[in-house]
Amino acid sequence: MRPPARPQSKKPTPPNNSQEFDRLYRDHVDLIYRYAHRLCGEVEAAKDLVQETFLNAYRGLKDFRGEAQISTWLYTIASRACMRMRRKRKGEPQRELSLDEFVPTSEGEFRLQIPIDGLTPEQALENKELREALDQAINKLPKKYRMTLVLRDMEGLSAKEVGTIMGLNERTVKSRLHRARLFVRRELSARGITQQDHRSREDWQPGGSGL
Amino acid sequence: MTGKKSARARQSRSVPPRHQPGEGRCLDILRQLSAYIDDELPSDICAELRRHVGACPNCEVFIASLRDTVKLCSNHQTPPLSAQERAMLRLEILQASKSGVPR
Repeated sequence: MRPPARPQSKKPTPPNNSQEFDRLYRDHVDLIYRYAHRLCGEVEAAKDLVQETFLNAYRGLKDFRGEAQISTWLYTIASRACMRMRRKRKGEPQRELSLDEFVPTSEGEFRLQIPIDGLTPEQALENKELREALDQAINKLPKKYRMTLVLRDMEGLSAKEVGTIMGLNERTVKSRLHRARLFVRRELSARGITQQDHRSREDWQPGGSGL
Repeated sequence: MTGKKSARARQSRSVPPRHQPGEGRCLDILRQLSAYIDDELPSDICAELRRHVGACPNCEVFIASLRDTVKLCSNHQTPPLSAQERAMLRLEILQASKSGVPR
């Protein structure tokens, strides 16, 4: 059971656009939930974020003039809500990722690999350990980098769209994305999940005969 | 081997001097790798980088692992909401909107 949303105030919003809202909700809730889940890394926080997003969308619906795509508008509301929610909860500092920290300093570090050789990404992700490693790596990213990576590489938006949603220019989006990818790469490869580990796992189902 | 050598010689002229394969200073190359794998580099810089990568096994492996990272991210799956969860969330949102919860 999730707690009721928030303490109440005196200014109710009249439900004059509920049909429109229902359509908006029906058509986009799965998209926004997926985004929220990727950002938050867990179900309850993702549901809170969906609720916050659609509540704000409901209130803003009458002002939405259709200059942006509806999905872009919703991604923007969700992203802002996510920034606020997390800040409120943890007060976590926004760590900056410096490119320097990703320069390999040894031959071994250079040659770390992600263990998907010979497999399609779908097949590789059938491995629970790799899936969890990926989730953990994404969750460890400082949130503004995580948001950039999720929007660009997981939701599949263009750098320009990500910039519109996050209020950044394309150059900053690309720079953040690059650092986020390097971070996840290092996390995944440094865990030392090897092909051997894959084969010995019970849940490992080699989808192909490439190994 | 000779092919590799001549590629190395070419690369030493065109690649920024900070990059020293095997010694780990690759900042200038590293900076461009996402643009490289996203196919966003101007063709001359891209060709230069490709030449370099062909001559540097370390960079080749590094780029492959960065590509794999992006592929894994783009194939990441999220468990969907059930119909019941979807309906429940909708009710909660409508209730909250009626009670005028502050933003």
